[in-house]
Amino acid sequence: MTVMRDTVVKSLAKVTVQGDENGLIPEYEVLVNLLPVSLLNRLSERLMAAAPPERKRDVEAGLVRAAYECGYHTGCGIITSEVFNDVVLPMVTEGEKDILRGAYAAFTAWGWAKSGIVQLKEGERMVIRAFDYYEADNTGEGLRAYMLRGLSQAFFDLAYADTYPDGMDTFVCRQTKGIEAGDPYGEFIVTRK
Amino acid sequence: MTSRPALTLVSSSSAAAMKGDLAQTKITDIMQFLSSSYGQGMIQVTGGPDGHEGKIYFMSGALLHVETGAAAGLDGLVEMLTWTEGSFQFHPGATAPDTNIGLSIQHAIMEAAMRLDHRGSGSRSGTASIANQLIHTEDDERSNEMQQQRESTEVLNDLLGIPGIDAVVVIGRDGFVIESAGNSARVNIDALGASLAHAVNGIEEMGSELKINQFQDMFVEYGRAVILCKPMGDAVAAVITPDASKLGIIRHKTKKYFEELAHSF
Repeated sequence: MTVMRDTVVKSLAKVTVQGDENGLIPEYEVLVNLLPVSLLNRLSERLMAAAPPERKRDVEAGLVRAAYECGYHTGCGIITSEVFNDVVLPMVTEGEKDILRGAYAAFTAWGWAKSGIVQLKEGERMVIRAFDYYEADNTGEGLRAYMLRGLSQAFFDLAYADTYPDGMDTFVCRQTKGIEAGDPYGEFIVTRK
Repeated sequence: MTSRPALTLVSSSSAAAMKGDLAQTKITDIMQFLSSSYGQGMIQVTGGPDGHEGKIYFMSGALLHVETGAAAGLDGLVEMLTWTEGSFQFHPGATAPDTNIGLSIQHAIMEAAMRLDHRGSGSRSGTASIANQLIHTEDDERSNEMQQQRESTEVLNDLLGIPGIDAVVVIGRDGFVIESAGNSARVNIDALGASLAHAVNGIEEMGSELKINQFQDMFVEYGRAVILCKPMGDAVAAVITPDASKLGIIRHKTKKYFEELAHSF
């Protein structure tokens, strides 16, 4: 038995997502909010467009970092949450590898990116493939899936680096393909820094 | 390189017979061709390092009897599959002395090639090459290209080029559809991925409980249609064929592509 993606997606899709008076949703042991993805895309598009050529790399790194920080901290909350324990953990037989499978299934269930693991060498390298991710609609130049890069790095740090919160920045993720750049899917490779 | 005819029609006193050179064609090709063209007969083969003689009897598309000096039945066929040089002669209408195989031609070839693979498991890649060569014809010249790792999309497209394959899908062990190609418009590919992952998990658990071995292949028959699944690293590849009669040849032709795909997952 391993983590079955469809089971995770179906179970998580049933979770009620209801914001409080501040628009914050107390779910998965973290506070999340519901924002249109076009807003997030617009934000990154404008930041990149506003940056002078010599600073574009820094802005790009900043966008990835923002996703990483979010992914690392909320990701830890998610994989230790009651929902995750109830839905995913009973299917976990391959340790961290299954935790990661569950994390990407959750990622898919919440509509961020239909994504999953293509190749995984434990503690060393992971290849992720993504379809239908919202950053594919981002306008601009080059590979622009900043959120997926940051989150993939965060997930791998959570799985294989030192225990939270000491394992930050152990691994790095680079994007090698992107729908936004004309490829049939997005591809992300996580390796040790 | 001189070109010689692979098959020659010769006239004998009793009936027209066919003979040829094993260096120009494969025993498996001869078996398939003759069994589809003649109802009954015997292929007499002289080959191997010591010039052994072997006989292959078939009737109505079934392989009935095989014998060589050293082996009989499927083991005899396995031995003959390694003969890449020598000659053969076909005797139409010849009757088998008895039945020591009794499988369809395709099935028998498949079983023999599998035994050949297992026999050489110590040098797996070399043996796989031998088995593939027995079946492959036009693909041989492409083998050098295979040395370099290609994009999985290209490999999937090559798989799709094998006659009889309708669709190809690669899924993660969790059911994530990594890649697919072919006539999948009428298939919910995500549902297929999830179903295959569940099935493979069940099969693996069974093997684990029985302490037999790791799961290697899974065939699911639906009438004439068959789904063939093969694990490759953390993924599982599946091909869908609407015509089960081509399963043997498909299995062999897919082998090297599956091996190539395994490098990607």
